[in-house]
Amino acid sequence: MDETDSDNYYYDDCDDDEANLIEEEYDDQQNFTVLKEEEIAKLQEDDITEVSTVLSISQSAASFLLPQFNWSVNKLNDEWFADQDKIREKAGLLEKPVVQFNLDSKNQMITCGICFEEYEYESMSSAACGHPFCGDCWRGYISAAINEGPACLMLRCPEPSCRAAVGPDLISVLVSQQEHDRYKHYLLRSYVEQQSKIKWCPAPDCKYAVKFDAFYGTRSYDVSCLCSHSYCWNCTEENHRPVDCETVRKWILKNKDNSQNAQWILVNTKPCPKCKRPIQKNQGCHHMTCTPPCRYEFCWYCLAKFESYSVRCCNAYRANGADLAKMELELEPNQKKLKEYLDRYLHYFERWANNLSSKQRAAESLDELRSKHIEKLTEAQQYLSELELNFITEAWQQIIECRQVLQWSYAYGYYMPEDERLKVELFEHLQGHAEYSLERLHKCAETELQPFLSSEDELQEKFHEFRIKLTGLTKATKDYFDKLVTALENGLSEVAV
Amino acid sequence: MANSNLPRRIIKETQRLLSEPAPGISASPSEENMRYFNVMILGPAQSPYEGGVFKLELFLPEEYPMAPPKVRFLTKIYHPNIDKLGRICLDILKDKWSPALQIRTVLLSVQALLSAPNPDDPLSENIAKHWKTNEGEAVDTAKEWTRLYASGE
Repeated sequence: MDETDSDNYYYDDCDDDEANLIEEEYDDQQNFTVLKEEEIAKLQEDDITEVSTVLSISQSAASFLLPQFNWSVNKLNDEWFADQDKIREKAGLLEKPVVQFNLDSKNQMITCGICFEEYEYESMSSAACGHPFCGDCWRGYISAAINEGPACLMLRCPEPSCRAAVGPDLISVLVSQQEHDRYKHYLLRSYVEQQSKIKWCPAPDCKYAVKFDAFYGTRSYDVSCLCSHSYCWNCTEENHRPVDCETVRKWILKNKDNSQNAQWILVNTKPCPKCKRPIQKNQGCHHMTCTPPCRYEFCWYCLAKFESYSVRCCNAYRANGADLAKMELELEPNQKKLKEYLDRYLHYFERWANNLSSKQRAAESLDELRSKHIEKLTEAQQYLSELELNFITEAWQQIIECRQVLQWSYAYGYYMPEDERLKVELFEHLQGHAEYSLERLHKCAETELQPFLSSEDELQEKFHEFRIKLTGLTKATKDYFDKLVTALENGLSEVAV
Repeated sequence: MANSNLPRRIIKETQRLLSEPAPGISASPSEENMRYFNVMILGPAQSPYEGGVFKLELFLPEEYPMAPPKVRFLTKIYHPNIDKLGRICLDILKDKWSPALQIRTVLLSVQALLSAPNPDDPLSENIAKHWKTNEGEAVDTAKEWTRLYASGE
């Protein structure tokens, strides 16, 4: 299936299988809507209009009030009708001026309270409270507030004890277009950021927002933006089924604490075969000498005791040679506990991280397939059309998706209560099958396409076999992972504790 | 010179400060820079600062009155809302500033802060803690500091 079609109900005219696939996948309504800036503005305007109509207040007053109620139309309506005066007072929406000038004539001079210059009363402006200030001072006051940031959405009259609202109506006539645009931008941002149903897409430079409507098809927060970024809407991390957002948060936090150290130690050090302290190789030769007091001399490769260069070599491959490094440790009970804890964490972390990088490499392979290989294939193997090669793209999409699930299943594994033995066993069983199937699929996609790319001959027969194999593996892997995800999301409830 | 195009508002404020000074407060602009004021505030009666003369500096930034003046104690003072650099924790000098406030109103607020220290919104954690755990002793220290540093000599 082509990605560009994925946000519509779409029926391809190619072949029935594909149409069925799409139908099946989009049978249920999508859980979310991607919004462009104009669409957000439209929603915002609708809300403002609704409030303005229902409460019989100006559009300006409505857009001044709504941010103070996190853009919840219902909450504002309820509270307004419960106690209108209280809301008016809190928000500074005055019904009549608090100061009045009994002027002899309209051109009587008044002193502006900011610049202390005198102006004709008619030429001055004021909020609903009636405190008059001159145009220049108003402009300066509002510009300064807009430059300060989003707090300009709650601007009040400059008179120190006055809380009268300075809303969009006054602002739009007083400041430059540029500043007015900034004000409107803050208003739009507050619309997205303050309410709970819409969030910005977290991809860098993406200007779209995603509105989460409800759980229709699946109970999952997985969304994909028009910018092609897929992520969990709820926590804005990458998609992380089968684990929940809280587990992701804990795991990421934990990795921040531990992983840089843990990973570095994993990659760069080996334990001294004698004292077990981690050792970093900081010089070229593989004759290692542990630091005092241990001073044990050993070979970096095989970790055997170092006698002299002439006596022995470890260039020959010997299975389990590294087992020397895993010799039982004689540690203090506390140290032992700590080591067990760290080993356990490393076990899960290493697999989590490896699947993450496999997923990234798979995404690169998919790009390469789309940008280079498909063209090459249709050239080399004349009997093929581009459409017929969709099964390879689908295989890679499946691999990427499964790598991600497998990756997060290791975070799931780490947080499983170790004493729930049956659950752990079921988990490991399901995960094992899924992983094994994925490895076969990944390997097949990675290696078995190669001959067709380079061959001069047409290998129609063989290609047919490849297609059957890859399609079969894709399907099988999908089934295993569906099972894994379902089981984990149900908390492995098949097994009684 | 910058003084030549001083906004009328600043000139008017300065004239009024000199002609009708607020009780216990004096503020006069420096000769070199009309935006810089030398300020003296007398410690309010019935406060631990009574009898003290406190020197402050006040500067009107370019954006004044859209931005608040910058005010700082030059005399050492033991007060929970004033730190050892003389910086003052006062809302109208920050987010509660309004361009309709003036130098006079700011200095009156500072004077009021001396009468009513607010250890719940501290700038000096230590002094605020002292104030809350043993107010009597803290007040004695404030009196002592007033005698030592603000006796006007």
